[in-house]
Amino acid sequence: MLHTPEAIACDAVAVRYPYAPRPAVGPLSLQVRRGERVLLLGPSGCGKSSLLHTLTGLIPRSIAAERDGQIRLFGHPAEARSPAQWADRVALLFQDVEQTLAGLTVEDEIAFALENCNIPAGAIEESVVRAMDLAGLPPEWRMRRIATLSGGQKQIVALAAVLAQDVDAVIADEPTASLAPKAARLMADRLLARGRTTLIVDHRLGPILDRIDRVIVLGAGGQLLAEGAPDSVFAEFGAALIAEGIWTPLAVRVREALARQGVKIPPVTQVKDLLACLPPETDLKPLLLPQPVPLGPERVRLEHVACAPPFGPVVVEDVSFSLRGGEVLGIIGPNGAGKSTLAACLAGLVPPRKGRRHGAPGAIAFQNAEAHFSADTVRAELAAVGLPAAAVAAVLEEWGLGKVAEQHPFTLSMGQKRRLALALLTATKRWPLLVLDEPTAGLDFKGTEIAAAHIRRLAGTGRAIAVITHDADFALSVCDRIAVLAPGRLAAIGPASDVLRNRVLLEAQDLAPPEAAGLLEWVEQRC
Amino acid sequence: MLKHFHSLPKFFLCLIWIAASVLVFDLRFQVAAAVLAFALLWLGEGVRLWKMIVLTVPFALFGFGFLTTSVLFSAESGYALQMAGEQSMRRPDFSPGLVLFARTLACGLLSALFALTTDPGHFVRALMVHLRLPPSVGYALMQAMHLVPDLGREMQSLRMARAIRRGRALRRLPGPGEVAALTIPLLAFAIRRAGRAALAMEARGLQAGRPRSHLRDVAMTRGDAAGFAAGLALLAALLWAL
Repeated sequence: MLHTPEAIACDAVAVRYPYAPRPAVGPLSLQVRRGERVLLLGPSGCGKSSLLHTLTGLIPRSIAAERDGQIRLFGHPAEARSPAQWADRVALLFQDVEQTLAGLTVEDEIAFALENCNIPAGAIEESVVRAMDLAGLPPEWRMRRIATLSGGQKQIVALAAVLAQDVDAVIADEPTASLAPKAARLMADRLLARGRTTLIVDHRLGPILDRIDRVIVLGAGGQLLAEGAPDSVFAEFGAALIAEGIWTPLAVRVREALARQGVKIPPVTQVKDLLACLPPETDLKPLLLPQPVPLGPERVRLEHVACAPPFGPVVVEDVSFSLRGGEVLGIIGPNGAGKSTLAACLAGLVPPRKGRRHGAPGAIAFQNAEAHFSADTVRAELAAVGLPAAAVAAVLEEWGLGKVAEQHPFTLSMGQKRRLALALLTATKRWPLLVLDEPTAGLDFKGTEIAAAHIRRLAGTGRAIAVITHDADFALSVCDRIAVLAPGRLAAIGPASDVLRNRVLLEAQDLAPPEAAGLLEWVEQRC
Repeated sequence: MLKHFHSLPKFFLCLIWIAASVLVFDLRFQVAAAVLAFALLWLGEGVRLWKMIVLTVPFALFGFGFLTTSVLFSAESGYALQMAGEQSMRRPDFSPGLVLFARTLACGLLSALFALTTDPGHFVRALMVHLRLPPSVGYALMQAMHLVPDLGREMQSLRMARAIRRGRALRRLPGPGEVAALTIPLLAFAIRRAGRAALAMEARGLQAGRPRSHLRDVAMTRGDAAGFAAGLALLAALLWAL
């Protein structure tokens, strides 16, 4: 690979947004060689997306920012062509696919970039058929309206569009972030096929790590922290990466946690290698499972409810379960199964079409936390809830928002926005039931750890909590029980450690067990 | 049947019928045009009757304004009605207000006929291929169509968050105060979304002035030409019969 020609080369590249005191990313030098699959890692806000937007010239040509340094694509200066002209050699898969689709039908979307490159209709036809096949899209979806697809399905259509381009290099920004496990694996298989030049940013390491040739790690300041083969980077820099709040493989996190307890483990990066090194007396349960909280009274009960969005058709039927104070229920299921609709019904915001809901109303922390904000500053948001000034200061400290108290809520990082939304919902005792919709989507390791800690703390205050998530490892670490949704129905509900290790049940719904399942089985074999 | 009729001749045919409806001040013509459009949608395209009636309501209310004005305030509206009545092909034996009411219904139903039987993506593509609509404008139109359901979802989230903040149940329909409060956040969402979409389309090769191919040429067939001719012939026959 060392002598392979460069596909992407950055030399001392830095990006600075208007009025920002320091660069969002860089100065940074990196190379991606042809046929190489490179993972770009870093904590939230370190400028990964800015760097990706700079490579084909979207920054500074279309996004107001200054770029220093030199970028070369396939040996040519990036600025020699416009971002649109680079589309015949470089494909970009954006983070927020829902907002970046161009066509009205699946076929429109897949053909869009090829039409822009003035490719003859016959060749486009062949590419569309091939790309749909590669992405696992049924041929009858070809004329389907994009608006009728779920978020995950749209992401697979966006993948098909990238595959249809059949370009020399692919740049992907968090392509698996909101995908169910089976779809995430498909995305990783196709984007990171051997021989394809790919630069990918992703927090979810599970589906992609074994397909990566090299990892480039950025620190919080947007500068190079580590670089090399995945195993050597995670073995050598594991502790530093965790300290920076960057996602590392589960084996590395467990190894470092045990090291803090004085248990020395060789620098392994795979769970199977970790299991071979673990001392038999090691107690892994506190690292994998939540601390139990005494259960309180029943907060909500659903009896044979049918849930539907306002003015929409019923999407989930015959759902029955109850939730007690102090309990955390995980709701998992494939894309489009109706998790968010069930959440609105569970919280009492949308009445069930059939059946009954018993219990006081609850609140939802939306995935888009900005929906909760209405004031000019973080402090004013909390004051608007009705808290006195002293209580506002206490809540700010409790949620780690003291330093950003005077900032506009929209300028906060993703993790801070989610914390502020939760702080607003829990600042008063109004809501005994909280429903959190994808609380970790787009968060780095540190943000996810903080979210998990707050969820367990809130459960400890006697609140009942429901968490919608795609992340089985996160669900295992915070949830007492898991409800598995199949399209249109509740497939199963039970203790988290049982449900999340039921491969037959999970795979029937295109889900996968958590990475920690192997460790949990090891623990139980010891007991 | 009309769904398979090429969107461009259908568009121009509807425009011609609407133009005729505006120019011909004859109650019989307006009623005939409205009944024809209604029948084509209901019987020809299988659009449900309740949907048709709901669709007709806003046009009927608008037209009802002309009717009540002409009946209740004939002195005040006399000049306007006289001007309307002096148009070509006038039939003076009907109340001008009644004709204006029927004209509104006819124009509304002819528009609905086009909207309910046309795939918007096909129409925009046809405009780009046959009438050289710039692709940047064409895809901006498609983005606007994407935006409508997205705005609906965003509004629902904002409304739920607002209901949670206020500790009230979510009302089925937003009141005027709530609509006003949601306007700015929804506008901000639309602007942000449009910016991201423009960026993505540029990164995927869309650029003004670049030559562009089309997967589907949305060509017109002899059947489309025959349908267009038949629509014109029917209009001519109707006018001749009146």
